[in-house]
Amino acid sequence: MANIVRKQLIPAVGPTVRERLQAMDDSAVVTAFLGGEERAFSELVTRYQTRLLNFVYRTIGDREKAEDLVQEVFIRVYRHLHRFDRSKKFSTWVYTIASNLAKNELRNRSRNPLVLFQTVQKNFQDEDRPLQFEDTTSRPDDMYRKRHLREVVEESVAKLPEHHRHVFVLRELEGKSYEEIAEITECNLGTVKSRLNRARNSFAEIIAPYVD
Amino acid sequence: MDCREFSEKHLAFVDDTLAGIELVRMQRHMAQCEPCARQDAKIRRALLLFRNLPPIEPSMGFNDRLKARLQEAHENDMLLETTRRNLTRGAVAATFATLASALMLAYIGNTVYQTEMTRDVVMPPVVAVATEPDLTPITISTPAIVASASAGLAIWPVALFAEEAPVRFAHSRFELAKLNR
Repeated sequence: MANIVRKQLIPAVGPTVRERLQAMDDSAVVTAFLGGEERAFSELVTRYQTRLLNFVYRTIGDREKAEDLVQEVFIRVYRHLHRFDRSKKFSTWVYTIASNLAKNELRNRSRNPLVLFQTVQKNFQDEDRPLQFEDTTSRPDDMYRKRHLREVVEESVAKLPEHHRHVFVLRELEGKSYEEIAEITECNLGTVKSRLNRARNSFAEIIAPYVD
Repeated sequence: MDCREFSEKHLAFVDDTLAGIELVRMQRHMAQCEPCARQDAKIRRALLLFRNLPPIEPSMGFNDRLKARLQEAHENDMLLETTRRNLTRGAVAATFATLASALMLAYIGNTVYQTEMTRDVVMPPVVAVATEPDLTPITISTPAIVASASAGLAIWPVALFAEEAPVRFAHSRFELAKLNR
């Protein structure tokens, strides 16, 4: 990474470069970055930061830690992008890194039983919530109901076994295909389908009493 | 279709990846089997709730922190590379120094060894052999003096010897006579 001689491949006209990068697919953006266009990396960050944050947050349940891990993902991408096999999908590679980091975090946490999924999830304060979630047109009791429902859903997801939750989040939140999930989680297709089926059934069972 | 088959194919049914005929079979089963229809509704409702969770956005300082961490990582990489390069150079220099030292030591060692070799020349032991004295009696008198003179002795001792010869011979003859007696 460091030894790549950075040169401006695209003319340095701010908005045009950004627009051109925005119009490119991931693979082209990666190529631009490897060709020396540093701004291409910002484009990758813009594309993936929210998606990765949600994925990691739903997997580990700790918002602050999720942000740290997402940053770690981008640092690893920056360092090792020259090693990325460009015949493969960039998003799968990024999610694999994020998935491994999330798994490590959960493993470390399981060694330290004082930190629990639900505990850290409750630390997600109201002021951390994105502005778009605050629906000003709703009545206060509606807003309360929505918040309560969100908490119930998050707690129900947290109750799923780790390997089920992982597959469940990748499929239901990120919309990944079974094949991609298999690649990201390093499992075979059959395992992915079986885990997803079980996760869906378990989640439905857990949340049923709250929503019926 | 029975409930077991319905349950097995439900994943693909929810994901809309079932073939047309299978889809119709699933729908028919649901129309006939209330528990399966209820289970299907329960799962779809739960998934709907999960999929509609509001996404969380990165915090305000996220990008600044990321930029700082990237910068730090970049600097660390540069430092690491410089250190690695220096270490490589150092290693090469150390290798050369070691080789030179080894050569020097080998040379010195060789020189010392050779000197010691010349100082302590090991020669084969000298064995002294004593020849037995010839005890045969001398019978001829005069030609013996001539013969001894031709054996490489200086002339003057030969001359002295010649002067004393009759006395010697007389003695020897006398001694022989004594022995004979």
